[in-house]
Formats: sequence, C-alpha cells, structure tokens
Amino acid sequence: MWEQILVNGLISGGKYALLAMGFALIYGVARIMNLSHTAYYMLAAYLIYYLNQSLAVPLPLAYLLAILVVLVIGVTTYHYLVAPVREQFTAVLIVTLVMAIVVQEIIFIFFGGHFRSLPPLIPGTTTLAGIKITYQHLLTLATVLVTLTGIWLLLFKTRLGIAIRAMAMDREVANLMGMPESRIALVTVAISVGLAAISGAMVAPLLILDPLMWMHPLVVVMAAVILGGLGSIKGSILGAFILAFAEIMLVFTLPKLAYLRGSVSMAVMLAVLLIRPEGLFGIFMEGER
Amino acid sequence: MFPYLIRKLFRDFQGEILALPTRTIVFLACIGLLILPLFTKNPYLLRVLTLTGIFAIYAASWDLLAGITGQVSFGHALFFGVAAYTSALLNLHLGLPPVLTIPLGALAAVVAGLVLGLPGLRLKGPYFSLASLALPTIMMGLVFTFPQFTGGELGISGITRLSTSRIGEYYIILIMTMGLALAMWKMATSKTGLIFHAIREDEIAVRASGLNTSRYKMLAFCTSGLFAGLAGGLYAHFMRVVGPSTLEIVMSLQIVVWTIFGGIATIYGPIIGVFILFPMMEYLRVVAELRMLIFAAIVVITLRLMPEGLTTWVQDLLERECPRCKERNAFTRANCRVCGTGLDPGPNTNIWKRGA
Amino acid sequence: MAGDFLVVQNLSKRFGGLHAVKDVSFSIGRHEMVGLIGPNGAGKTTLVRLILGILKPDAGRVSFKGENLTGKKTWDIVAHGIAGTFQNARPFPHLPIIANVMVPCLGPRASKRGEWVKRVEARAMDALEFAGIADLAKEPASRLSQGDLKRLEVARAIACEPELLILDEPFGGLNPTETSLMAKSIRRLHKGGRFGRLHSEGPAMIIIEHKLSELMKIVDRVIVLNFGQILTTGTPAEIVNNQQVIEAYIGKEVV
Repeated sequence: MWEQILVNGLISGGKYALLAMGFALIYGVARIMNLSHTAYYMLAAYLIYYLNQSLAVPLPLAYLLAILVVLVIGVTTYHYLVAPVREQFTAVLIVTLVMAIVVQEIIFIFFGGHFRSLPPLIPGTTTLAGIKITYQHLLTLATVLVTLTGIWLLLFKTRLGIAIRAMAMDREVANLMGMPESRIALVTVAISVGLAAISGAMVAPLLILDPLMWMHPLVVVMAAVILGGLGSIKGSILGAFILAFAEIMLVFTLPKLAYLRGSVSMAVMLAVLLIRPEGLFGIFMEGER
Repeated sequence: MFPYLIRKLFRDFQGEILALPTRTIVFLACIGLLILPLFTKNPYLLRVLTLTGIFAIYAASWDLLAGITGQVSFGHALFFGVAAYTSALLNLHLGLPPVLTIPLGALAAVVAGLVLGLPGLRLKGPYFSLASLALPTIMMGLVFTFPQFTGGELGISGITRLSTSRIGEYYIILIMTMGLALAMWKMATSKTGLIFHAIREDEIAVRASGLNTSRYKMLAFCTSGLFAGLAGGLYAHFMRVVGPSTLEIVMSLQIVVWTIFGGIATIYGPIIGVFILFPMMEYLRVVAELRMLIFAAIVVITLRLMPEGLTTWVQDLLERECPRCKERNAFTRANCRVCGTGLDPGPNTNIWKRGA
Repeated sequence: MAGDFLVVQNLSKRFGGLHAVKDVSFSIGRHEMVGLIGPNGAGKTTLVRLILGILKPDAGRVSFKGENLTGKKTWDIVAHGIAGTFQNARPFPHLPIIANVMVPCLGPRASKRGEWVKRVEARAMDALEFAGIADLAKEPASRLSQGDLKRLEVARAIACEPELLILDEPFGGLNPTETSLMAKSIRRLHKGGRFGRLHSEGPAMIIIEHKLSELMKIVDRVIVLNFGQILTTGTPAEIVNNQQVIEAYIGKEVV
C-alpha cells in the first residue's frame, strides 16, 4: 500500500504542483487571482479527448495541439478580458470565475455531463523496484518532473525568469527598475496557462473527465498556494505535495472516508495558516498586520 | 404626538425618498413587490421572487462583511449552510416551529461567525480569502460523515412550511427581506459601520486611533453570520429540503458575482443585483444549455461598461453630487437641495468618461 | 531626565540581521517636548512604532504613567493616552476627511467625555478646524495634497486626546509657509486648552524630524539616534554644537 501511496501521491502532487506554480506566478506578477486556472486544465483534457476520439488525431499530436490551443485561448482571453480590469481585484475575480463557468458550459453543450475517459498514451505496465506501475503513470511522473525542472531552470537561470521572480516579490520596486510590466505579465500568463494545460494533458488518461472536474483542483491549488506562502514558487510546490499526500494517504489508509479528502486537505491548510499566518515561505511584514 | 409623527414621516418621505430618483425607484419597486400578489397568483413567479428575497439577504450579508469591512470571505456558504441545517434538524427532530428554528439557526451561524473570525483575525487579504474556502468544505465533510443524522448526499427533507399558503410565504419572506435589508443598510451607515469602512481602508490606522479592531471585526463576522443565517433558515423552511448544496463553493462564489454586479460596499447593490440576476437566471431556463453563457455575457459586459457596479452607474446617471456640500441631487435640479449651490448643468458628463 | 511619565528601558528590535533598535533607554516628563533626530535608517520610526505597539519589541520595557505597556496592543496603548502620526500618512482614502477624524473620536478615550459622545461629528469638525482643513471636510481623503494629509494625520492624533503625542515627520513634504503654520499649531497644542469641543491636556511630545532648524525652535530637549542606539541627548543648543552629531550627519546640512 505504501508504494501505491508514494506513486499516487507523487502524481497527484505533481499535478497540483504544476497548477499551483502557474497560479502563484500569475498572482505574484500580476496580482490576478485566476479562478479560471483549472478550467484550462480541464479544457486541455477535453480537447485531447475530442481530437483523439472524434477527429481520430493520433494521441501524441492531439496532446501537442491541445496544449497549443489552450495556450492561445488563455493568452487571448487574458489580453482582451482580464488585462483591462486588472487593477480591480473584485472585477478580476468575476471575470475569471465567469470564464471558468463559460468553459464548463461549453463542455456541457458539446460533451454533456457524462463521465468520459481517455486511453493511455502508452498502454501496459512494468515493474519498477518491486512496484507494479503503468507506463502512463511513469510517463506522467516523468513529464511532471521534466516540466518542474524546466520551469525551475527558466525562473532561476534566465534573465526573464529573474525578472518574473523580482516582479513576484515586489511589484513596485520591479516597476521602478524599469521592467516592462505588462509584457512580463503576458509572458507569465502564457507560462501559467501552459503549465495548466500540460498538467491537464498529462493526467487526462488517469482521470475520469466531467465538466465539473475543475472545481476540486481549484480549491486545492488555492489552498496549496497560500499554504506555501504567496509569492513563493518553492512554497507553492511544497504546498501542493503536502496537500496531495494528505489526500492520498486518507484515500488509501481509510478508503471508507475517501469523501473526506477535500475536508482533510482544507483542515491541513487552515491549521498551518493559523500557526504561520504568512504560509510556509511567505514574507511576513510585521508592521503591516 | 401622533399627528407630529405622521407629519414627520411625511416630511422624511418627501425629503429622503422623493428627493432622489434612485430612492423613488426603489420605493416604487418595494410597493410593486408588495401588491404583486393582488394581480397574479402565478406560483412559479411567486416562488422565484421568494427565493430572490432569500438570496438578497444572503448577498447583502456578504457585502456587510466583504464590501464594507473588507474581509473578502470565499466561504460565506458556511453561514447559510450551518443555519439551514440547524433549522432543519431542530424542526425535524425537536419539532420546533419556524419561529424558533430560524432564529436558532441564525444563532448557530453567529457561532460559525466566531469560528470564521479565528482565521479572520490572524490572516490578511488574500490569505484570508483563500483560507475561508476551507470552512464550508470541512463542514461538508462533517455532513457526509454523519449521514444518519444529516441525510448525507440527499439531505434533510420533510421540514415544516413557513405558512400554509404560497402567498403567505411570499409575504413573510419579502417583508423580512425588506426589514433586514434596511437593518443592514442602517448598520453600514451607522457609526459602527463607519468603523467597518475604516477597517477595510487601513486596519493599522484604525488601531492607532484607539479602536479595538479585533472586537469590531468579530462583530462584523457575527452580524454577517446572523443575517446570512436568517437567510439560510428561511431557505430551509421555504425549500423544505436542505442538502449539501447549501455548503458548496458555488454557493459562496455566486454572491460575489451578484454583489459586484450590483455594486459592492453599498448593501443595496447586492440586493438589487440579486433581484435582477436571480429571476433572469430562472427565466433563462427556457434556453437550457445556453443560459449560463448568456448570464456570463451579461455579467462581463455590465462590468466592462459599469466597473463600479450597476447601482453606482445608475446613481451617477440620475443624480449629481453638489460640489460644495456633497449631497446628492436629482439630475433635474439646477441648485443643490441642501445648500443651494448651483449644480453643473447639462448631461452628467463624468459618467460617459467612465463608461468609455 | 525627569519623572516617570514615559519610561523606555533597554528596548531592542531586530529585523533579520538588522539590529534596528539596540538597547535604547530614555524617559520623558509630563509636558516635555522632545525631538528625536538621527540620520536615515537610525531606527527612529521603528522606535516610535515599538512604543505605539505597532511592532513588538524583542527585549525591553515601555511604561507610561507607571503602567507597563510592553506587549500591549496598539488600541490599548492609545486608550492609555499615547497617540501618534505615521511617517507616510495613512488616511482612509475612500472616506471623507470628516469620517477619517470621526474614527478616533469614536475611540474609548475620546468618548469618555460623556456629554460629547453624541457629537462625534462636531468634535471631529473641531479637530479639523484646529488642523486647518475644516473646509475640506467632505472631500474624500484620496484627493488631499501631501501637506493636507500631514494635517489630517495631526487632526486624527489629537482627536484621540493624547497625553503623549508622537509626531513622525510632521513637516515632511511641507513648503516653508506650511511648515511654520504646522509648527505654530504644534506649539498651540502643547500649551493645552480647549479647541471647540476638543480638549488638549497639553500633551508631552516626541517629534521626529529632519528639518532640524524648525525642530530646534520648538523642542526642549533632543535625543539623537544613530545605528539604533542613542548617540547623545541634550538641549537644542548643545546638540547643534556636538561634534559626534555633526559627524553622524556628515553630508547633511545641520541647522
């Protein structure tokens, strides 16, 4: 059982980590609380389903196309709908929430509320260190790892990444240093949406697709981001893994109480925040409280 | 004594309501709602309007906490759900009548307010908003853990009706809506309300003014809980079934949409927002699968045109602020009704600038 | 060093590796007017934030009128009779000026004066009158100029009716005319008396300021802070001629 917890925890944690990192980046750089974040994740999964099952596009191509399409949609909607109201926190909430609902409804119209599932990219299983594991799980794990490393390198080793992190830490100072704020914001949105799309694409074959599948991850992702501390990339990744393992442990050790997984991860988040109000790696401004 | 009261009432009516077009509109709308059952007995319409009233209280209670006091909670369903479940359980198991279960349910929501206040006092801004998501989810977990008690997925049914007739229910709930709305508005414009506003603007500066902000924030959580709880109790007795849907995220997030659509931090904004959006959503059921899309389009377009919300936009359209004493005046007046200063003639230009 | 009105003992505060306030001790007498000066980053603002309870000290003790205030919440400290202004004015931007000042008038200290409780608005108006911005009462605070914001801060602080008033750069961003007006109001307030419904007990004052020439004219005593420690204290005349102080300020104009 423990090896299953490990594998599933890593996959689920990786999925949440990709999502949480995107959410945290966009919040840090543009102060946008993007409630449509996981809608992109769902959209990617459904697009793959549509391309593969209805248009008979081969799976690998479907993956690529889906991620690209979601990327384009994400950046366009940001540019035309979110960017104009960016300064107003509440308006951003509404617009992004409405965008998520629109995605959900479009999926309802095209696919109905039925549960759907995708065939794995590579079928079959293998045994690794005594653990039986499907190739799809392995592939997902590998993708998550590669993507995380890639983003890590991008953020910590490139000029763009340093600009993004500087912006996420202190927007005003970054502005004063003459960073092209709106352009960096747009690039960040692209990275963030891309991460959501990759995450959705990678876990699609492991999940059952339904038009409401964006809600639970959204809540977990938001919880992970504040658990780690707003503005901290490292924190959001750690937060995602903590919550994912909390959920998976519950599901595997007490399968009868599996429906409590949402409550458990929420309780973990709340408990951590009550002890450390700034999150695990957040910056704490004493005088500002 | 009595004639004096009547004269005062009449004077207030003239000075406070008729003087401002927006207030006149609201007044006429209230009258309209009260006499509506004389003209139509359409049960569907009455049912929709009754539910609208309940959600109007609920949305306004969120505005009191989030808009006025600045504690933007994403877990407001906690209050609604806790009160609805409490009322339902008390009614079903102890056989208490609605007159008792609704206030007791609201009391439970006040306690929930104290619980939400715990993270509320410690966490700031987005940390609080996101952390507040947790409480309804945890509560939902509890509901599913004790299905023999809470009915689990199916919820609790067989709750007593508020009144034996549809029209009775309609009147009870609408009059309560109006009364509670007035109470919330009075609170928001009172001295306590001023402190709430100030806490939203700068909490540290309020502390440095010698006010115990923790106490006032707790007060805001509890009052907001009280009003949302009353709405939850009314909902339980009106729908006569209470399920986990009362605790769902959608329940917490839709009031955000209603409130911002109507105009946040005004109390009347969310109420008017609900009275427009909720019936619209119901009647859009005829276009079943397109209804959410139409709804989304309307909300987004409204926000692009009126970033401060519908009510503020209409107010700016129909009323003008006196440059000297800042009193509001009908757009038809040439001079301020209070200080007599000349008002800027011609169309209210500032609004077009804002809309562009 | 007179009396036991405000006594600060061995106060210390660290921010990470930075020792912002290091072992500071001083005391202030009733009705005394003290200037707190020092180069940028000397820890002046941190020190007054520690006294006001906005920051929690790592070590040390603050007592006021014989009562220990260390670790008390800001509102409690204000209720005991200490009030302060912020270096960067912190108005409630969306509220009218009058409402900005009504908030402290609703505080426990001001509302103790029974007969006036119901006249919160009138009291706030008197505070604005005193600060000289009564004509702007109904404007939202976001429209104020820097100078008027400073006056709003003062109005808000005196509405708390303090016995010790801490002013953090009251002349900051003011032009010479405004500065001398502000200095005049400060002196008037320090003398005490009634300003309409507002009562001034002639508070003791701690004034942080960089415009030393103005400051030296109004204070009785000056405390000089450098690198979080007290460099020296003395009368304005002594400080002006103190070699250490001049060195600490090198590159800056002294008097």
